[in-house]
Amino acid sequence: MLTVTVFLGTILQKKTPQGNQRRLEVSLDEGASIVDLIYHLDLEVEPDYLLLAVNGRIAELDQVLAEDDKVHLMMPISGG
Amino acid sequence: MKVWRINVRKQALQIENVPETWQGLGGRGLTARILLDEVNPECDPLGSENKLIFAPGLLVGHRLSSCDRISVGTKSPLTKGIKEANAGGRTGFHLTQLGIKVLIIEGSPTDEGFWVLVINKQGAAFKPAGDLVGKGAYETASRLIEGYGEDPAIALIGPGGEMRLTAAGILNIDKDLVPSRISARGGVGAVMGAKGLKAIVIDASEGEAPPIVDLKTFREAQKEFNKALLEHPQITAYAEYGTAGMAMISNGFGGLPTRNFSSGEFEGADEISGEFLRDLLVERGGKAKTTHACMTGCTIRCSNIFASQDGKEVIVSPLEYETIALMGSNLGISDLDVIAKLNWQVNDLGIDSIEIGAALGVAAEGGAFEFGDGQSALALLEEIRTGSELGKVLGNGAVATGKHLGVDRVPVVKGQAMSAYDPRAIKGTGVTYATSPQGADHTSGLTIRSKVDHLDPEGQVELSRNSQINVAGYDTLGACAFASFGFAAAPETITALLNARYGGEFGEDTLRNLGKETIKLEREFNKRAGFTKEDDRLPAWMKEEPLPPHNAVFDVLEDEMDHIFDDL
Ligand code: SF4
Repeated sequence: MLTVTVFLGTILQKKTPQGNQRRLEVSLDEGASIVDLIYHLDLEVEPDYLLLAVNGRIAELDQVLAEDDKVHLMMPISGG
Repeated sequence: MKVWRINVRKQALQIENVPETWQGLGGRGLTARILLDEVNPECDPLGSENKLIFAPGLLVGHRLSSCDRISVGTKSPLTKGIKEANAGGRTGFHLTQLGIKVLIIEGSPTDEGFWVLVINKQGAAFKPAGDLVGKGAYETASRLIEGYGEDPAIALIGPGGEMRLTAAGILNIDKDLVPSRISARGGVGAVMGAKGLKAIVIDASEGEAPPIVDLKTFREAQKEFNKALLEHPQITAYAEYGTAGMAMISNGFGGLPTRNFSSGEFEGADEISGEFLRDLLVERGGKAKTTHACMTGCTIRCSNIFASQDGKEVIVSPLEYETIALMGSNLGISDLDVIAKLNWQVNDLGIDSIEIGAALGVAAEGGAFEFGDGQSALALLEEIRTGSELGKVLGNGAVATGKHLGVDRVPVVKGQAMSAYDPRAIKGTGVTYATSPQGADHTSGLTIRSKVDHLDPEGQVELSRNSQINVAGYDTLGACAFASFGFAAAPETITALLNARYGGEFGEDTLRNLGKETIKLEREFNKRAGFTKEDDRLPAWMKEEPLPPHNAVFDVLEDEMDHIFDDL
């Protein structure tokens, strides 16, 4: 097993009775990729659509995750 | 549609036909065309030769969702080059209802003092600004609304514009009468101050929508555009979180300006994030709103209303990402209540929150106050109001502040402060900052949404080029950047709408053609103003000083940037 920290942006936050959760510690099987993580989290959004970053760098859906990775799952918005 | 020309010296209006070469342009593209045709690029931006141009975009006037923006163009007293600052609110829509394709303010007043220019179906009238002079933007707006009613559009300046500070903007009232939609950048408010205008009141009560040649086709294309917009998954994110949703993205990529651009990661990022902001607004309730539209007909509603803890008092509306970053993380401040108060103050002063946020960051580095000390930052803004020497320096922007305090690390291009993306971590946006004729600007072509390695210098020039051309096209249409999601999903609607509106002059790829033409005109103006490729550079320190957490420097090849617009 490996554990990664996941940051969920805007509408991807998990709605829980305790409020919106945007930072989670998630345990996954060794060799798990970002797409596995997205299915594990059961997010209601097309994975292809998301902007992904691991440890501050842009990432692809099939990127294999490592222990302690910081994963950002984001809606690709921009500012104003 | 006509050209309305106001000479502030003669206090006279002249109404003219639209020259042929102006007809296929609107918004940003039209302001560039007119500046090139009529303004000496080497003139004093605050002198009589400069003009202040208000041009609604090509699609403005029909309540198309998020497409009623106004472009304000002039020679910038901040960059000394071409400037276009666009905004939502009412101004664009109301001008079109009076049949005004473009309003050109020219000349210099004969004596000191300020006027309110009132425009309506009967023409134009100058009324003395009286005791509005010296008043903040919010009081000025309410007093004008008391006098002229709730229907007109109003564009006004605050004390910053009256003092001709080069960070001063022009504030447009929104659909709820709040002067919060700001043509903020490049000192357009200083030019309005130099023209002796405290406000322009646009009363379109006897006006009517501009003609549409083929109404049926227009409505069909409108329907298609609306559908594409509403179905876009992004729209919910904007409606619920607004642009503030950017903070965690920038921070996640290590590009959130922190403590005068010395880090791209802020320890207080979560507390200034759009996610935190939304929870806070929901919890406060009352007048606090997570979503709000700046103009009638906008279905995206990216704006918000930030209210006091008990929800009873509005502190500022909207509170947006660029301000949150420049006056938050860039100043080491992680308290949204403090940031909102700073935001209200700069709006009331009529000053650009990006420029002043950057100037304050430079000031903190120069020892004027401690990073993180919001009360001192507020006190410094008060100095702008009183017109103290330091206040004026700050109000003239980041470069002036750096010179005054002996700080070399000044985050600007062409004299204009960078917005909330550190170019060392988001290199495509760095290329935009460097090469945009507008100076460093968040509305000139962002790249952070692209699925590319933002730290890799390769490919960033092409990415920036595409983005710059697209936004110049949208700015010429008068479309909000977020309406572009709808247009991108249904691109054929752009040409369909334009041809239905004007009658068959626009071919395929209109958006990009308009964008290219606009940038070409702007670059020509800058060239004649004396700009060279040496002006298309980021500050040298950004090429040498590594930015944590990636320890990145800006290393896109200058030679490549120099050819970015070769084949426009
Ligand atoms: S999306 Fe936001 S900025 Fe654009 S028109 Fe709507 S409220 Fe105004």
